[in-house]
Amino acid sequence: MVAVGTIVWLSSELMFFAGVFAVYFQLRSVRADLWAEQTAKLNVTFAAINATVLVISSVWCQLGVWKAERGQKARTGSLLDLKSWGMREWYVLTYLFGAFFIAGQVMEYAELTHENVTLSSDAYGSIFYMATGLHGIHVTGGLIAFLLIIARTFTTKRYTHANATGAVVTSYYWHFVDVVWIALFITIYILK
Amino acid sequence: MKVETKLFAYLCVFFAVLTLIYGFWSKWEEPIGTTALLLTMLLFLLTGFYLYVTGKALPLRPEDNITGEIDEGEGNYGYFVASSWTPLWLALAGAVMFTGLAVGWWLFIIGAFLGAVALVLWVFESFSGEYSI
Repeated sequence: MVAVGTIVWLSSELMFFAGVFAVYFQLRSVRADLWAEQTAKLNVTFAAINATVLVISSVWCQLGVWKAERGQKARTGSLLDLKSWGMREWYVLTYLFGAFFIAGQVMEYAELTHENVTLSSDAYGSIFYMATGLHGIHVTGGLIAFLLIIARTFTTKRYTHANATGAVVTSYYWHFVDVVWIALFITIYILK
Repeated sequence: MKVETKLFAYLCVFFAVLTLIYGFWSKWEEPIGTTALLLTMLLFLLTGFYLYVTGKALPLRPEDNITGEIDEGEGNYGYFVASSWTPLWLALAGAVMFTGLAVGWWLFIIGAFLGAVALVLWVFESFSGEYSI
């Protein structure tokens, strides 16, 4: 029930991002001159490293999901023994990678603001911050969800099926946000 | 879940064809409609793929069996909270936050604190204490 609801909600989220992509392509098709000028200011290498971190976080998330599905909420051995890690440890690692991504986004925003690309500077600035910002808010929401899911492993005595479902649907959301970023990254930084 | 999967798969193919027709008709110069149609195709692909994967993981349901009986569908469907006020607190906190956007940031911040409390109450309602699920 929870999983089906999450998927249906995520497909509606897809249409939300469809609106963002449509605005981006439409503005680009009418203001090619502005795009040529402003996209030159993007730091593609930095953004590529940041995107890689987000993609890797999805891998850690999936490793956590497999542990959750087997009902293993926490590590059984030492912290250095990766094989004994449970869902909690992998989700903490995912959280750290996700937080790194958001910190990178903030740095990138600061850099672009110095170069006079702001939300109100021109059409490019508006859609750049709208697209990456709305995605950033989604990632931040995912980070809060991870904290709640990790906290749940401490408040329940047994790691039940309902707990595991919560962890699994959070991973659906995280993978979705990750895929949206790949599409946004290709659109904004590679196609320009 | 073959019927459900097919329903979404057919619509996915339909929108793929529609995207191509629309694209060639507008000479790929009209981005809004093309993007919207392409992502509508992905919407059906996402839900269809999920149903396909879930259908493969689950055993055949009574709904899939042509000679299935109503009583074969008995059993647990999931956990449902009997009654809960916490969604109301969360919605009210959301209302305060959105009013804050119009009135002033001070109200938004108050709403955000209320929202944080309501969210934690909601998430842990069934997952803490003696009767946690």
